[in-house]
Amino acid sequence: MKMKTRRRWFLLFCLLPGLLLLTLFKLYPTVEVFQKSFYLWTGIGDEPKWVGFQNFIDLFHDDVFLLSLRNTGFLMLVVPVLTLFIALINASILTRSKLKERGLYRTLFFFPSILSFVVIAILWSFIYHPTIGFLNSGLDFIGLSSWALPWLGDERTVLWALAITMIWQAVGYYMVMYMAGIDSISPDLYEAAGIDGATPIQQFIHITIPMLWEIIRITIIFSINGVLTISFIIVSIMTGGGPNRHSEVIMTYLYSQAFSNSNFGYAMAIGVFVFVMSFLLAILSNRLTRREAS
Amino acid sequence: MKGIKTLNMLSAVVLSFSLLAGCGGNAGSADKSTQAANSQFADPDLNIAVFQGGYGREYWDTIAEDFMKDYPGTKINITASPKIAELIRPKIVAGNPPDLMYIAGSDNTSLLDGLVKDHALLDLTDVFDSTPKGETQPLKNKILLGALESRAMAPYGDGKVYAAPFNFGVMGLWYNKTLFKQKGIEVPKTWDELLALNTTAQQNNRALFTYQGLYPGYLEEIIVPSIYSVSKQKGLTDFFDYNPTFWTSDTFRQVWGVLEKIATEDNGLMKGTVALNHTQAQTEFMQGHAMFIPNGTWFEDEMKDAPREEGFEFGFLGVPAFKKGDPVTAMTSVEQIVIPAKAKNPELAKAFLSYLYTDKSVKLNAEKSKGILAVKGAPDLVKEYISDTTYNVYKTVDSGMVAINGSFKSVAKGSKYNPSEEVYNPISSLMNKQMTLDQYSAQMTKLYTELNQELVNNTP
Repeated sequence: MKMKTRRRWFLLFCLLPGLLLLTLFKLYPTVEVFQKSFYLWTGIGDEPKWVGFQNFIDLFHDDVFLLSLRNTGFLMLVVPVLTLFIALINASILTRSKLKERGLYRTLFFFPSILSFVVIAILWSFIYHPTIGFLNSGLDFIGLSSWALPWLGDERTVLWALAITMIWQAVGYYMVMYMAGIDSISPDLYEAAGIDGATPIQQFIHITIPMLWEIIRITIIFSINGVLTISFIIVSIMTGGGPNRHSEVIMTYLYSQAFSNSNFGYAMAIGVFVFVMSFLLAILSNRLTRREAS
Repeated sequence: MKGIKTLNMLSAVVLSFSLLAGCGGNAGSADKSTQAANSQFADPDLNIAVFQGGYGREYWDTIAEDFMKDYPGTKINITASPKIAELIRPKIVAGNPPDLMYIAGSDNTSLLDGLVKDHALLDLTDVFDSTPKGETQPLKNKILLGALESRAMAPYGDGKVYAAPFNFGVMGLWYNKTLFKQKGIEVPKTWDELLALNTTAQQNNRALFTYQGLYPGYLEEIIVPSIYSVSKQKGLTDFFDYNPTFWTSDTFRQVWGVLEKIATEDNGLMKGTVALNHTQAQTEFMQGHAMFIPNGTWFEDEMKDAPREEGFEFGFLGVPAFKKGDPVTAMTSVEQIVIPAKAKNPELAKAFLSYLYTDKSVKLNAEKSKGILAVKGAPDLVKEYISDTTYNVYKTVDSGMVAINGSFKSVAKGSKYNPSEEVYNPISSLMNKQMTLDQYSAQMTKLYTELNQELVNNTP
C-alpha cells in the first residue's frame, strides 16, 4: 500500500512538466477563447468590450460564414465517406487476395500520409494547373480536350477538386489501419464461411465489416475532424477561398476575421462554434454507430 | 533496476528545473546610467521591428550601425521577420510594443489597419514639420508630393500624419518590350487601343490579358487609376469612401466594362487565369501566353529565376486612359513606418525615423535592398544601384504619367467586412461569366449601404 502511494506521487511528479505545459499552452488558451468570444475585441491593444451573445447572433446573419459552413459541411460529408469506403475496399482486397506485392501497395498508398500537407497542396495545384497541369494534359492526350476545365478556378468544380486532394491524402492512412484490423480477424471465420458457400463479397459484408466495426467507428470521428484541420491548409494554398469565396471554409474564414480584419472576438466565436460542432458530431456519430452489446 | 529508477527521478528533476529556468528574471541590460550619461537621449535603448521580405534586412542592420555611430551611447535592437506582424502582435497586446515598426508585406499589413481602428498610433506630424539637423527646410518638403496627405499616412482625414512613408512602388500594366519592337506594335495609350490589340495577340499565339487569378486584388492596379481617368478625384472619393451611388455611375460602367470585355471577348482572357496564383500567372505571361499583366515595380526582382520566352524584356506601360489625348496613369503605393502610441521610447524613435530620410539612408536603402524611398528625386539619387527597367518605371512617374494613390476608408470597428476583398473577390465570377455587371453592381450597392450604416451606428 505504502509502496503504491509512493509510486503514485513519483508518477505525478514525472507528469508534472507535461501537465504544466499542457495547462499553460492548451487548456488555458481554450478557456480564454470561450471567454473572449463574448467580447468585441480587435486583438491588438484596446480594452475588450463586453457584447454578450452578439458575436454568435452575427454569425448566423453573416452570408460568408453561412457559405463557408456549407462548403465545410460538403467536405465533411464527401471526404470521410469516400475516404473510408475506398480505404476499406482496398484494405480488404490487399489482405484477402494474398498478393505478393502487398507490401509494395501498402507503401505506395501510405506514402501521401507522410508528406507534409503543404507539399500535397502545391503538388495538386500543379496537377490541376489549367495549361501545364497533369490532369488537363492527360485529357488532351486521350482526345478529351473539351473536358478540360480550370478545375480550381471554376465554382462548379472547385470543391470536388479539393475533396479529391484530401481523399488522396488520407486513404493510405486509414487503409493501413484497416489492414492491421483485418489481419487480426481469425482466418477460421473466412474458411468456415467459404465452406458454407459465401462469396467474397458476402464474406466482406458479413465478416470483415462487423469484425472491424469498432475501428471503423473511431476512424469516422478521426476523419471528420481531420477534414476541419486539413481543409485550412489545402484551401489557403490552393485557392485562397476563391473563386469568389466558393471554396471558403470555416477555418480560413476564422483566420481572415482574426488576422486580416482584426475581429478577434468574432473569430473566437467562430472557434467556439467549431468546437461545439465537432463535439456534437462526435457524440452523434458515436450514438449512431453504437451496436447493442450482444 | 534501482539505478534506472534513480536515473528517471534525476531526469524528471532536471526537466522540471529546465522548465522553470525559462521563466527566470530579466536578463540584465547593459549598465543604463553610464550609457545615458554619454548620450543626448533620456533613454538610449531603441527596439525596432522590421519586415524582412524581398528587400532583406541588411539595410536595417547597416543604418542602425550608422545611427549608433552618429549618436554615441544609443543602442538599437532589431527584430526582423517575414511574419513580423505575428511576432509582435502578442507584445502589442501585452502593452509592450516595439518603439518603431516597419510593417509591410501582405501578410502583415492588416495589423496596421487594426492599429488605425484602435487609434493606437503616435501622431508623427511634428517629425515632418521640424527641420532635421544640418538641413534648411522642414522634412515634409523632402517627401514625395501627396504622400503625407494620402489616407495611408493620414488615416483619419484630419491632416495629422500617423504613418511615415517608406519605400514606394509603381504599379500598372506590363508587356514584353522585345515583342513590341520586333513586330512594330504601338504601345497602347487608351483602353480602346489596348482592346484592339486582341487580333495582334492572337496572331502571336497569346491571349490579350492575364492577371493573378487567385488574388483578384491585383486588379486594383488597373481599376483605381482607371476610375481617376474617367472622373478624377471625385470618382476615387466615391469609390474609397463608400458612396453607394458609385455603383450606378457611368464611371463604374466604363471601368468595369473593360473587365467585362476582356472576360467575354474571344482570346481576351488567358484560359485558366482565374485558377492561377500570382507566380503561376506571372510565369505564363513571361513565357508569352498573354500580352499584358498588371504588377508593380518588384516584378523583375520577384521573378528573376522564372523561365521566359526568348528575348523577353520587361516593359511598363502604366494604365491606359479612356479618352485619346488624356495622360496615361499609374498607381503608387507607399510602405508605412509607425510608432505605437504606447512606445516606451518615442523620443529616440522619432530621431531615428527622421534619420531614415537622409540622403545617406536613401542611397543605402537602394544599394542594400533595391528599394526606393518616397522622397523627391530618389530615383536619380540612387540610379547606380537599380536596374534600368526599375529606373525607367520610376522616371515615367516623374515625366508626365499621373500617379494615383488611394485606399479604402477605415470600416467601423467590429465590422465583418474587408472592403478590398468584398469589392475585388467577385471579379472572379465576372471573369468566369457567372455574374453580370448588373448583379455585381447590385451586390456592391448593398455592401456600401451597409458599410455606411455601420459607420453611422458606430459614431459615439
